[in-house]
Formats: sequence, structure tokens, C-alpha cells
Amino acid sequence: MKRTPAKSPPVRTAAKKPTEADEADEVAVIDEAETNGEAPAAEKAASRPSTKRRATAESMAAGQRDISVSEFFAKNRHLLGFDNPRKALLTTVKEAVDNSLDACEEAGILPEVWVHIEMTGENRYKVGIQDNGPGIVKAQIPNIFGKLLYGSKFHRLRMSRGQQGIGISAAGMYGVLTTGKPVKIVSCIGKKGKSHDLHYFELQIDTRKNKPEILNGKGEGEDIPFGADGDKFLAKHGVEWKAAKDGTVAHNGTSVTIELEAKYQRGRGSVDEYLEQTAIANPHVTLHYKDPDGKEYHYDRAAEQLPPEPKEILPHPYGIELGNLVTMLQATKAPTLSQFLTSSFSRVSSSKASDVCEAAKLSTRANPARIGRHDGELLYQSLQKAKIPPPATDCISPIGVPLLLKGLHHVVPAEFYVADTRPPTVYRGNPFVIETALAYGGSSAAVKISLEALTEMLGETDARTLRQFLINGFNGIGGDAADKILTEAEFGNRTSPSKLKPAEIAKLHAAMRNVNLEEGQTMNVLRYANRVPLQFQPGACAITQSIMGTNWRAYGLSQSRGGLPSGPVTIMVHIASVWVPFTSESKEAVASYPEIQKEIRLGLQAVGRKLAMFVRKRMKVKQEGERRNVFLRYLGEVAGAVNEINGRDKKKLYDMLLKVAKRKTEQADIKLDDQGRVIKRAEEDEYGDNVLIVKQDEPETPPAATEAAAAGLKKTKEKGTGKAGR
Amino acid sequence: MAKKPSSTKSGGAAVSVSAKDKKTLGSLRVLADEVVDCAEKGRAPHLDVPSRSLSNVRFNKSKRFLEMGSGTNRRELFNLSQAKAYMQTLLISSGCKRLIEEGKTTSLRGLYYMLKHSIEGTKEETFDDQADSDTIIEDVEVTLNSLREEMHLYASNRGNLVGPITLVDSGDEIDCTRMGSAGYSIPSICEPDVIQFKKCTAKFILHVEKDTVWRRFAEDKFWLKHNCLVTHGGGQPPRGVRRLLHRLHKELNLPVYCLLDNDPWGYYIYSVLKQGSINLAFESVRMGIPEAKYIGLRSKDFDRCQLSNSVKINLNDQDVKRAKQIAEYPWFKDKKAWQKEIQTMLGNGFKLEVESLISKDISYVTEEYVPARLEDQDWLD
Ligand SMILES: Nc1ncnc2c1ncn2[C@@H]1O[C@H](COP(=O)(O)OP(=O)(O)O)[C@@H](O)[C@H]1O
Ligand SMILES: [Mg+2]
Repeated sequence: MKRTPAKSPPVRTAAKKPTEADEADEVAVIDEAETNGEAPAAEKAASRPSTKRRATAESMAAGQRDISVSEFFAKNRHLLGFDNPRKALLTTVKEAVDNSLDACEEAGILPEVWVHIEMTGENRYKVGIQDNGPGIVKAQIPNIFGKLLYGSKFHRLRMSRGQQGIGISAAGMYGVLTTGKPVKIVSCIGKKGKSHDLHYFELQIDTRKNKPEILNGKGEGEDIPFGADGDKFLAKHGVEWKAAKDGTVAHNGTSVTIELEAKYQRGRGSVDEYLEQTAIANPHVTLHYKDPDGKEYHYDRAAEQLPPEPKEILPHPYGIELGNLVTMLQATKAPTLSQFLTSSFSRVSSSKASDVCEAAKLSTRANPARIGRHDGELLYQSLQKAKIPPPATDCISPIGVPLLLKGLHHVVPAEFYVADTRPPTVYRGNPFVIETALAYGGSSAAVKISLEALTEMLGETDARTLRQFLINGFNGIGGDAADKILTEAEFGNRTSPSKLKPAEIAKLHAAMRNVNLEEGQTMNVLRYANRVPLQFQPGACAITQSIMGTNWRAYGLSQSRGGLPSGPVTIMVHIASVWVPFTSESKEAVASYPEIQKEIRLGLQAVGRKLAMFVRKRMKVKQEGERRNVFLRYLGEVAGAVNEINGRDKKKLYDMLLKVAKRKTEQADIKLDDQGRVIKRAEEDEYGDNVLIVKQDEPETPPAATEAAAAGLKKTKEKGTGKAGR
Repeated sequence: MAKKPSSTKSGGAAVSVSAKDKKTLGSLRVLADEVVDCAEKGRAPHLDVPSRSLSNVRFNKSKRFLEMGSGTNRRELFNLSQAKAYMQTLLISSGCKRLIEEGKTTSLRGLYYMLKHSIEGTKEETFDDQADSDTIIEDVEVTLNSLREEMHLYASNRGNLVGPITLVDSGDEIDCTRMGSAGYSIPSICEPDVIQFKKCTAKFILHVEKDTVWRRFAEDKFWLKHNCLVTHGGGQPPRGVRRLLHRLHKELNLPVYCLLDNDPWGYYIYSVLKQGSINLAFESVRMGIPEAKYIGLRSKDFDRCQLSNSVKINLNDQDVKRAKQIAEYPWFKDKKAWQKEIQTMLGNGFKLEVESLISKDISYVTEEYVPARLEDQDWLD
């Protein structure tokens, strides 16, 4: 284990060994960017002539100093989701979009967000995200975008997307570190009519001091006039600003532009996937997305109401740690311990407070600021032991069954949808709600992809083998399905995806369509925390673990022991909480608290039971349909033979036999109309109201769907250039 | 579409329909009418086909042949696993109806081709292969209680006869001593209306398993020396051969001696000749010859005839299994001699073909082996 050596500047030491190959040149860029700054003091120490004792306490003291959060981040960016260029791109988009949505919802505005990714050079992209939110007051802009750990959400307990106040400034810093380009912010808080409507900042984070450096307007930022002049100004600075539709009034909102070293690639873990999944869990959001190829995707909102505003709550005593308590004791303005307890925590009445104090052998009137370490610990113990009612749970605003169904149906094509919202419960004093939704049936993205989109994806992928390409690139394709496709297309599974000739691609394309993926398909898992999709570290996540731990065979899916079930099924699990416990700062996986696992399991069972009903019914209908087909096939022959023997009317006999056949296979009629297709609508009634069944065989055109989607994007509307043909 | 007068097909010539044909047509019609009846009543049509499995076969100890029991299998149109067989049963019935009306006969294979076509709107064939239609034909036979020949069907000819008999076959008089080297080819239909016996001086019948052995006997004029008929059935004898043997035995009182291979298959052929086959138990009355004798080859012949090691053929697992099964047949079960015979073969671990006797001398079988057995009345019953 390498200790940070005192003698070399910390910035010099490469951060954690990069995990992906692309990382190598990225590291080089950082070095360059960082050495541009002034040489750290420690460097002088490094040039000292060596003595017998290589270091003395004094010399080491020279290198011992504060490590700023920003420096820490620069070295540990993998902790925050910047481990490789591809993920850096996603994290940047994600932090900005999450902020936009949070801000809009908090301000009571139906969110509309524009995302534009442009390639500016090799491995360089410019990302612009704009929202129609409340905007940010001028004075706050530099800190928000140029200082890590600065935000409004950390200090309160309220359900929101962002949590640590690390997000957007980290993205900005990553951009500065890798490209040297400042973060550009435009914001408008909507004082209509005045000339100083738009604030424009070019910022850079001073990593050493964790402080923003404003590069434009002599360190003050600039106010730019709204209108043609302003547009011209912004265009010159490479910033997009979409004005309100009528073109007269400035659009409230914020736009962030970050240029960064990145890699754009579709498929699993991509920006495209993130936006699609965001659309599913946020049916009240409209998203516009222009990808680096200039293709535009529009996810129109399916719901016109904002989710109810989550209430802010005080922390529950069970949810805090000792350190927290001590800090709170220091910071409080309450004059007495009793008041401190009742005003800082939820569910602590004054009688409860005196119980707690008594148990800790402390006076209710003690001055909180004077409570020492030892007494603090006693107080903590007694708080944990006290019988305190669980916190109020109305601080959480779940998506709700109707919108879960709507959102999933809007984006994931399937036959059967079911959703469930569990009643709120508590883990470690934090209220949370688990929601589950499931879509079953329909064909997977792999079947729908157009040849052009496939060619494009093959060109972009960095998967080494075709097999890997298929598994990583498409939801629902697991190892089995990939093998089937490759066998059908007569490719070895080591074939490299990048060198395929057009004829070979066509062959692969045909195979993807022909192979029955229903069998080899693995469940597509969508994980959400406070409506934000979790795209990485599925294995470490309580959600995935609970899904794998559930016996799906009982619900009509096949599943190998301890694995994900297979079948044409998408499952969505959402945890909404004032404080979602993640396994790491990068907020990628939900930690496995037993209370959370239990709720997830119950939620999965709730949708599983409905799925089982549907699967069984579907199987029965299918079997009956097949049976009928068999009978129908032979009826003509039988009628003909009888006619040959006794001369009775063939047609009449056939019709009579047909009637008997229909009656004998009545079950099939559940699904058959006179053409023998289409499900009866009334079927839904049998399942209860948390289910949606979609007619199959009908061309399905939900508002946001076209085949652009093809590339694993499923349902999105596509305008502009690359209209993917069939 | 009304019924096509079948006479138009045969060029307008009036077809004479015999009383037997009328009976068959009647039962075919009942079959078809039942379908209409069911359909009119909104019921699912079905057929009850007498079961031809071992479980529905009984050994009648006093008559000494196999009889079919009364068990039937229901075959339904609206049953997934039976639908196709049901349809095929009706197709076969309609095919036979056509044959009878047109006054024609055809082979099993002929009927198969007559009825084979792809089902409208599908790629599925009415019959996939002849085995498919052959079983259904047997089903129809037992269902209608009509014999194959009554349905104007015949199997391909297999089996020959040589010896001092003159018979009339479809009006032609045939002297079976003067039929050249191949002998008289036994037709598949040997009913009295087709074949009548005119004159016979033979005292017994020697039935051998295969053509090769039969030729030896024919060439050596065994029938002349021993005043007998020599027949073969090309392995498992077809119905025509069995029917002819039965008639010769019953009508002319000729004892039947069998010369078959010393292996489970040979035993089984003897069993079928004697008691009837499990599959066609319903025909045993007309075909079984309970008095038939088994003169060889015997398990003890390897030693008795001092054969060379090279003629041994090792028993395989299948043979051993079959042999044990045969030993369990009720008609062998309480016959000590047969039990001993089978045990000896199993003990030997090898089987012997009749042809193995040739290793001693080309005519050993005709000049020594068979005459000696007949002389000593050394046979199994
Ligand atoms: N687009 C935006 N519109 C309005 N306010 C924003 C926007 N983006 C960020 N903010 C404010 O800046 C704060 C810091 O954001 P961030 O660094 O991402 O941390 P977090 O989202 O975890 O609080 C947010 O808490 C929010 O108050
Ligand atoms: Mg944030």
C-alpha cells in the first residue's frame, strides 16, 4: 500500500489505477493541466540533497497540510463517477439533469430539459444542459459551479435527486482538468423587461482552495441583454440558450456548458440509456436530446402534474450517527438540551426528551454546547435505546402506480404492465418507499433495431468480441441469447465487432430478428433512487440482490439458481427516501439494509403475483389457440372423407364441426376476435387496477414512439438527420 | 358436393358389388353417419378402435390360439394427440369405399399414395410415410370387423410354394409342380373366392423360413421324394401365406412342419404361425395352426450335427431380451421342451441359421437333417 509521499506533490501521484484502457492518456492530460499551476511547496523539499535519514519530522511537517476536497476529488474521481471517459460523459449529463429536475420540481415548474452533446475534437465533447427551472441568483452561481460540497440539499432531509452537493461542480472541475476549458453558465431568474436578464459566467475551480475562479467580466461575470445581441454574444462563446417559445420574454432557467474529455458510446450505461430511463421514472418531464451525430430524441411528458412536493423533515434520532449528534450539539441555537432534542429531531416530544436525558444522566436544562464528548456518547446511546415513534412518512413523494404504468408503457414496449407502491417504512430512522413495476412480453430492442442503427453501433463499440457487444449493447440479451444469435448468423463468438463487412452485418441483423430471444433473454432491470436511474454496479445493489433472491419460477419465469430470471420482462424498482443509502459517493448502488431488502422483496412479490396470473393465462390461451389450429387443420379432411363415404354436404358438416371445435377451445376466445387476434379489454378487470394490458399485433404508437428507438433506445421520437430506415 | 357415382370413373362399366362388399360398404357408412350425427348434435365425434396391444390379447387355451379381447381405445377428433389419427382413419375409410365401389383392389402402398396429399393451407401431409397408413388400415380392419381383403386391399406378394397340388387362382388352373425354379407365388389374398384347391396328393407341408432355404428344397426335389408341399414366407410370413397354410391344413388335413432359424426370431415366426400374432389377433381364427410342429433348427444341433465354430452367431442383448420374453408367452410357458430349448440357446450364447447346415454339405438339410427329424418324429410342439 502506497502512502502519499510527503516529498512529491500529491497531484503528481496517479490516482487509483485506471480500470479501462482509455484511461492512460487521460491521466497524462491531467498531469499537464495540473502542472500548469504553481509548483507546490512540497516540491522544494523533493530537491533537498539526500541525507542518511531520508526524512525528519521537520521535513515531513513541511509536507503535512490540509488536503482540499477538490484535490481529494482530483485524485479520487472514480469515487464520484468519473472513472473513465465514457462514464465521465454520463456523470456530467446526469448531474446537470438531476439538478435541473430537482430545481424545477422545487419551484413547481413542469420540467423541460434540453441536452446537447457535441464532439469538439478527438475524445472531446461539449455538453450543454439547459432547463426551464427557476434559475440561480447571480451571487450563488460561482459557488454552485465552482466549489465542491456546496449545495442546498445536504443540510436538509428531503427527498431530492442530488444529495451530497458534490455533483455539478465536480463535473465542471473534471472538464477543466481534462480540457482546460471553463464551465459556462447562463442563468435567468426571470425579471422580465429589465435589460440585465441573463447572467453569464465562465468559471474554473481552484482545486487547491476549493474556490471558484471567475474568468469573465473581470472576475464578476457578465450580464447580457436579452435579445439578438445577447444571442450573438452567447453564440460567440459557444453556448446555446433556448429562449421562450414566443421569442419575446427570456426563458427562466439555467444552462450549463462543460467541455470535457469523454467518449460517446451507445448501449448499456450510456447517456442515451440514462435519458430513456429518466423518462420512464419521470413521466412529468419533457426531455430533448441531441446526440453527437445530430440525431434528436424527444421524450414528451406523459403526465401534466408535478409529483406532490416532498416535505422537509427533521432527522429521526435512529438515523443519526454519534459524530452527527456532536456537531448538531455544537451548532444548535437551542438553550437547553430538552429544547435541542425536540427542535432538532422528529418525533421527540418534551416528555420523551426528558426520558432520554434522564437515561443519559443529563439535565434537561443543560446547555447543549457544553455537552462533552463523553456525555454526547451517553446521550447518543440513550437516544438509540429510547422508544421513539417512527418518523412521518409524508416527506416522500412516490411516483405512484398510475404514473409508473404510464412511464413504463411510454418507453418500454410490452404486453402486460403491473406496478405497485409499497406503504412507507423506515430504515435507521429514515423514511423510504419502495415501488416496483414490471413490463412483460413484446419483443426486445434487439429485434427492432434497424440495419443502419446496428451498423452505427458496431462502428462505435469498443467491445472486443461480438458476443460481448450483444450482451453489453442490448437490454435483455444475456449470454444465452447472444450465443443463439451468433450460431444463427454463423459467427464464432470471438469475432471482432469492428471488422464486419456490410454483408456480415446484414447477416447478424437478420439473425437478431430471427432468433427467438424470448427464451434466452434475461430480465432487464431498471433501478432508481429518487427517480434517478442507477446504471452501474448492479451486483452491489440491494435491488439486484433482492431480484435475484426472489423465486421467479413461482411467477412463471424461468430462472437459474441465484441468477436473474429470463424472459421478455423488464422490472423497475424505485427507492424513494429522504436519504437513500448508497454504497459509495458515486451513488450507483443501494446499500443492503434489511428493512430495504424486505420492502423490495414484498414489492417484487406484489408484481410477481400479477405476472404469474398473466403468464398462466397467456399460456393457456396460447395452448388453446394452438389446439384449435390443429383441429381446424383436420376438419376439412374429415368433412371431405365423410362426404366421400355417405355423400352428406361437406360444407355444412364442416361448419357444424367448426362450431364444436370453437366450443371445445373456448379459452382461446379470450384473446381471439374474428380474425383470431387481439385481447379483450375487459381482461384487465380481473387483475385489479394496478395492471395495464396492451393489445398486441396492433401497431403500437404511444405518443413518444417511433422506431428511431431501434438502437436499444426503444421508444423515442426522432427528428432531424439520421432517420433510421427499416 | 354430392357423391360422385364411382361408376363414371371406371368408364361407365357396371361394377358388380358382391354381398361381402355390400356388408363392408354398410359398415363404412355407419362410420361416416356417426360423424354427421355427432356434429348435428353439437357433440365431439369419436371412434372406438379395438385395442391391438398385448394387454388386449388373450391366449385361448382350448382353441390354442390368440384372441383379441374387448378392449377399445377411444379416438377423438378434438383431442390434440388423436386428432390426426382420427382424420386419417376417416381418410382410409373413404379410400376403401372408393375401391369397393370401383371394383378395384390395390396394395397397401397403393392406398397410401392414393390418400397422401398435403392438407389444405398447410405443409402438413395427410400421411408422412406408409407405416403411418398401414397401422391406420389395421385400425379400420378391426373397427369395421372387416378383413383387409374385404376392403379391397392386399399386401405385396411374398412367399412361394412348390409341390403336388393343383389349384385354381382367379380362374386359372395352376399345377404347382410345374412352376419353374421360382415356384408358385402365393398371393396376398387366399380366400376361397380367389383360390380353390383342385387336386392334392401331398401328405404334409414343410414350411421353411426364407427363400434361400426354400430353393435348396426345390432344387433337390424334396417335395417329390417326400410327397409334400414346400413353402416359405420370406421371414415373418405375410397374411396370404398364413391364410393359405391354414386352409391347406384345415381343408386338406395336411400337417405343417416348420424349419426355422434357431434364434428368437425363428421361435417367434413359429409362434405366429401356430397361435397368431398379437397385432392381428382378430385373424387368428382364420390363420392360426395350433397343430404346427417345429422341427428345427434346435439349440442342440450345434453338437448333434457337429457344426463348425464359424457358423455360430453370438446372441446380442436384444436377442437375449426377446428370448426371455418368448419364454414367458403363456403358450410356451408350461411346455418343458420349449423352456429347455430356449434355455439351451441362452446357455449356448449363440444362434444358428438354417443355412449353417450347408457348411456340412450343400444338401445335408434336404437329404439328412429334415428326413431324419421326420423319421424320428423329433420336433417341438
Ligand atoms: N439547474 C439548476 N437550477 C437551479 N438551481 C440549481 C441548478 N443546479 C444546481 N442548483 C443549485 O445548486 C446546488 C448544488 O448543486 P450540486 O452541486 O449538484 O449539489 P446537489 O445537487 O447534490 O445539491 C443545488 O443544491 C441547487 O440548489
Ligand atoms: Mg446535484
